[in-house]
Amino acid sequence: MFLQVSNLSKTFGKEQVLRNLSFALDAHRMMSVLGRSGSGKTTLLKIIAGLESPDNGRVELEGKAMNETPAHLRNIVYLYQEPLLFPHLNAFENIAFGLRLRKWTEADIRQKTETMLDHLELNGQAKKMPAQLSGGQRQRVAFGRALIVEPKVLLLDEPFGALDTETRTAMQQLLKRMVAGSQITTIFVTHDLKEALLMGDEIALMQDGLLKKYETKADFVQDARTGVQEEIGFWTNIQSR
Amino acid sequence: MAGIYKGKYASLGLFLALTALPIALGIGYALLRSMGLAGLGAEGFTLRHWEAVLSGGEFWRSLGLSFRVAGCSIGLAGVLALAAVLKAPERWQRGGLSWLMYLPLTLPAMVVAFVVFQMLSGAGLVSRLAYKLGLTSGIQDFPNWVNDSWGIGIIAAHVFMATPFFIILFAQLYQSERLGEYAQLAATLGATARQSARRVIVPVLLRQSFPTLVLYFIFVMGSYEIPLLLGSQSPQMVSVLTIRKLQRFDLADIPQAYAIGVLYMVFVAAAAVFLLRNNAEKTSSTC
Repeated sequence: MFLQVSNLSKTFGKEQVLRNLSFALDAHRMMSVLGRSGSGKTTLLKIIAGLESPDNGRVELEGKAMNETPAHLRNIVYLYQEPLLFPHLNAFENIAFGLRLRKWTEADIRQKTETMLDHLELNGQAKKMPAQLSGGQRQRVAFGRALIVEPKVLLLDEPFGALDTETRTAMQQLLKRMVAGSQITTIFVTHDLKEALLMGDEIALMQDGLLKKYETKADFVQDARTGVQEEIGFWTNIQSR
Repeated sequence: MAGIYKGKYASLGLFLALTALPIALGIGYALLRSMGLAGLGAEGFTLRHWEAVLSGGEFWRSLGLSFRVAGCSIGLAGVLALAAVLKAPERWQRGGLSWLMYLPLTLPAMVVAFVVFQMLSGAGLVSRLAYKLGLTSGIQDFPNWVNDSWGIGIIAAHVFMATPFFIILFAQLYQSERLGEYAQLAATLGATARQSARRVIVPVLLRQSFPTLVLYFIFVMGSYEIPLLLGSQSPQMVSVLTIRKLQRFDLADIPQAYAIGVLYMVFVAAAAVFLLRNNAEKTSSTC
């Protein structure tokens, strides 16, 4: 397996956030994780990224244990709920940030960043500072900044939570297109049922510190705990009135 | 509606009367006095006091020293405070240490100057310690750290006062600007702790604190008690030079003191407006 998470446990104070959580993910796949607030989604992602330490359990990437590897050496990018663009850098420099860390040549940085801006449909926005961009544009820059370093795993923590419906739909399509194009293994966390079904090649439910991965989306739909049946019932009732 | 406007103009008038008017009157009087048009011994319009100040060299050396002392003090205190906050940002936000940081801010400048004098003078504690350790054979071997032409004692006193203030400032900005989250994000993008500090945290902290740093710079340039006790006879910082000339027995020196005051105010105001406006433009393009 490309990414293997085994028996992860994490407790904050008296609250056990993760309980012997395990799952595996193949390379180049996007897994949606549906879960309510407080279900431990963010903690799981931060442990995989190396930003939190588990109390127990292992994270393996390409068969290698990652527990002792610091975040900056994992090549696993974690994106927050908000774009968190560096406020002192313009859109171009935000996207180029990871390339400058890797000491690419100026010409290569320019060429690759401009290509990324083009893919993100951000032509003409390169010199704008974060506050001069719309919410959707800021999120695109954040994706560009993450994708340009070609991470082994991309972790997205409810990235569209703050966007309006129309922008959210456009961003979902853009993200799917870009992740598929760059073949990056991705975990996409959301509390939106429809978004979870739309985004993932694979789908999982996180509840009370445990993660259940479904064989098929049909299994996910059938499981009463996911809330899909309830949702279907709601719309059926509305239609039949 | 008319009442609202009336109240607004009355508030504005009161504000101007209490702030701008006294300053304008002070500058006006200083200008008249420096040109021989007002005050005791007014001799009629003349620019000779201005010529004496501008061509004498004393004022420029004094201004240079003031700039140097303020620059070194703010630079050193800024570096120390940044290092402390970067090392352990949470430590300064809560707990005993965060309270302890307020203590030096409560000390009057004269007390700090006195403490620094007791520590760094030839007969001070550091000199005695150096003697006990065999590093010096007497007072004459100990370097001049107070009343010296480089202003080392003045800088030490200001660094002592400014560092806790900057630590509090940077620690609060670290929290309000969510720099911990930025640092984590930078780490997942491949940044080491050092790269994260250099490329993200320090630039954001300095940009957000820039107006405060400029104002503190001006405060240090114009400080009086510390350079009075710890400064050299020549050159003196502008504030000490001005007061010395004002208190001279020779009445001809008094208009020069007013000319120095006006010049100093013009330099500082111009620098502050230039720096703060540049920063406001940069900030407004990102807010």
